[in-house]
Amino acid sequence: MNAVAEGLGQIADPFVLLCILIGSLVGMLVGAFPGITATMSVALASSFTLTMDPIPGIAVLLTIYVAANFGDRIPAILVNTPGTPASIATTFDGYPMAKKGLAGVALTTSAFASAIGTLCGLILLVFAAVPLAKVALKFGPAEMFALVVFGLTMMVGVSGGKIGKGLIAGALGLALAAVGRDPITGTERFTFGQIELSDGIPFIAAIIGLFGIADVFDQMLTHRPETFTAIKNFGRWWPNRSEVREMVKPTAVGVGVGSVVGIVPAAGGDIAGIMSWAAAKKVSKHPEKFGKGSLEGLTAPDTASNATLGPSVTTTLALGIPGDSVMAVLIGSLIVWGIQPGPALFTTRPDMVYTIAGIMAIATILTLALSLLRLRGVTKLLELKPAFLWTVIIVFCMVGTFAVNNSVFDVGVMLVFGLVGLFLRRNGFPAGPVVLGLILGKLAEGNLRRSLEIGGVGNILTSPIAMTILVISILAITLPPLLARRRARRATRATTTV
Amino acid sequence: MKLTQVISVTALAAVSLSLTACANRGGGETNAESFPGKTITMIVPYQAGGASDLSARTLAKEMEDTLGQSIVVENRTGGAGSVGLTYLSARPSDGYTIGYLPVETVMLGHQGYDLDPAAFDLLGQIVSVPATIAVRADSPYQSLEELLAAAKANPGSITVSNSGAGSIWQAATTALNEAAGVELKPVPFDGGAPAVTAAVGGQVDAVAAGISETAPAAADGRLRVLAILNDTTSEALPGVKTAKDLGTDVTIGGWGAIGTPAGLPDSVKSTLVDAVKKAAESDAFTAVINKSGNLPVYTDPAAFATFYNAEAARFGTLFAK
Repeated sequence: MNAVAEGLGQIADPFVLLCILIGSLVGMLVGAFPGITATMSVALASSFTLTMDPIPGIAVLLTIYVAANFGDRIPAILVNTPGTPASIATTFDGYPMAKKGLAGVALTTSAFASAIGTLCGLILLVFAAVPLAKVALKFGPAEMFALVVFGLTMMVGVSGGKIGKGLIAGALGLALAAVGRDPITGTERFTFGQIELSDGIPFIAAIIGLFGIADVFDQMLTHRPETFTAIKNFGRWWPNRSEVREMVKPTAVGVGVGSVVGIVPAAGGDIAGIMSWAAAKKVSKHPEKFGKGSLEGLTAPDTASNATLGPSVTTTLALGIPGDSVMAVLIGSLIVWGIQPGPALFTTRPDMVYTIAGIMAIATILTLALSLLRLRGVTKLLELKPAFLWTVIIVFCMVGTFAVNNSVFDVGVMLVFGLVGLFLRRNGFPAGPVVLGLILGKLAEGNLRRSLEIGGVGNILTSPIAMTILVISILAITLPPLLARRRARRATRATTTV
Repeated sequence: MKLTQVISVTALAAVSLSLTACANRGGGETNAESFPGKTITMIVPYQAGGASDLSARTLAKEMEDTLGQSIVVENRTGGAGSVGLTYLSARPSDGYTIGYLPVETVMLGHQGYDLDPAAFDLLGQIVSVPATIAVRADSPYQSLEELLAAAKANPGSITVSNSGAGSIWQAATTALNEAAGVELKPVPFDGGAPAVTAAVGGQVDAVAAGISETAPAAADGRLRVLAILNDTTSEALPGVKTAKDLGTDVTIGGWGAIGTPAGLPDSVKSTLVDAVKKAAESDAFTAVINKSGNLPVYTDPAAFATFYNAEAARFGTLFAK
């Protein structure tokens, strides 16, 4: 218990608390700015914090990490543009809610779901760090491949009822994931001599285009001045009692999915959010409301993507393996500060674990409070005339996309994907599966090829973890239609006997 | 009307952005007497937060003190570094744009990228990242000899992870194969950390990675480093011998240097070379690089140019095979 007191004692310093406050303001702001990811802002901040003492430095970086995952929900809900990839799934139901005049409830719910997710993830960090991290080490290429295949089965779930069109969109995403250098041989594929494409299609530019820009284009084309109503009406801010009750189940789903995905190295909040959205839809009593402004569909991904934070930190600290891309950046700073993440950290600096968990808990609560205060101000933006608002959104998206790689090429990619997204939307194809295919396609191919290099097909067949996940994936696709048919048959039998 | 609206709003946004871009391009004439008279930009071809970025930013901070001007570090990522390096090579050679040159500068041209090592003037080497070969702590291979003997007995069955297809660490495995006359099987991962993890987790038999990636895992007993592929041993890896001492003559690894687009005027060059030397040898710089696990190694432009050209030739023959 001494380590707990010592660890938490290090936070009880006014300067550290000030750092947390600054971090959460910066984090919310960069999170809300489409294109600027948590990874990027932590990377940029780390060049300033390296000159600070370790604890205040860690406080700034971790708080930006936490707060960016609150801020990114605001544009996701209000303008259908994920502030960072972690809030892709927030757009599925957050934006429809806002269009229904429930923007206030959506923002409040999202903030609470995010806070609950983060805090639950932290509990995992404090109590189960070492044993859980050992599990993560068992995930090699074969197991990662199986996990990614399971993620791909979610395509059906994020298709919004239009399974055929969803699968076509998913196939488009997978095809786009093939652009870039071959992961094993390094040969160029579909790059047409563009060096900018040799790492694949710039992912952030693509999602900003598919979601935000496509929506602005769509609004411009369908806009009738006399009928247009901007989201001025935020409605209630607080969910009522029955809505709170409705949130319990998706919160539990979100915490579960988020924890598992968070522990797995290199899988982060974007994947967790989409998986959790699909999982919550499966267990919901009202799956038909998902994608049309379901409170459950908003709660589940927000809880899940934030529940990955604690477990990501767990994997990072306990194994010295980055749990996600932000953690990869953080490890660099920690090493320079003389804090070497890895199993030894828990014996040499046990206080560090509690300091980190404490900083993140304070950051979460502070950011929750800030978001409840600030949200009302942020939303004033939407009272602008649509033409101004569109310009503002497009400029923000362009600046944000440019900032990712300092690349004009990426801005072009974003605009092209805006047109692609517009085409998809007008023809009833969902954008979710495209993004899922784009994210997971690369992971699936890289890990499959790697495991084949290592031990051929046997490398996958002999892994109990991989085989279990693959079997679950097959069941996830085949069971629901089988059950539905059986239910239908039983129903017809019941009606015929009556 | 609607379509014109789409076009006009998008165009308006694009114009406002290109205006800000133009603001950057203004100015440019160099006056050798007063160099540097304005802010210098340092291009880093990799992401902020990585090892290259850390070296570059730390050096830039020290150079600012000598030059009396601020240095803005700009990360231009993509294409294994070729995007940033190509961009750097196309900038005016007036001393106001300098860049971090990684070992990939001499590798990429041999890997299908359009990049010529001669497109840069060299200001000096600042850091060295020797390659290491490591196995997990409970691996049956106790020494480099045992690993190589196993690879000889079963060609292609011993897997060695590295940070990516065409990376310097994959080249290190190839170079080791050539020197020892064996066939270790390189398995490219998506970054250095996952490659090390795969070795720790036992998914591959060994890992080829930079000293800064294997030394921490070796210190807390997760990895056993079998050899360092360098001329000298390192304090970061006590007791680990060089491959040469173990009978396999191979020296390979990453490095970082500072350069400019080719054609730098001499007077400007000498000012920059002095600033790089002073910064690279400063206590502040060497302390940060040592902590990160890499080796602060300063080599002056003349000596470095010889090494640079030798490396360019070496990777040409290595990749041709």
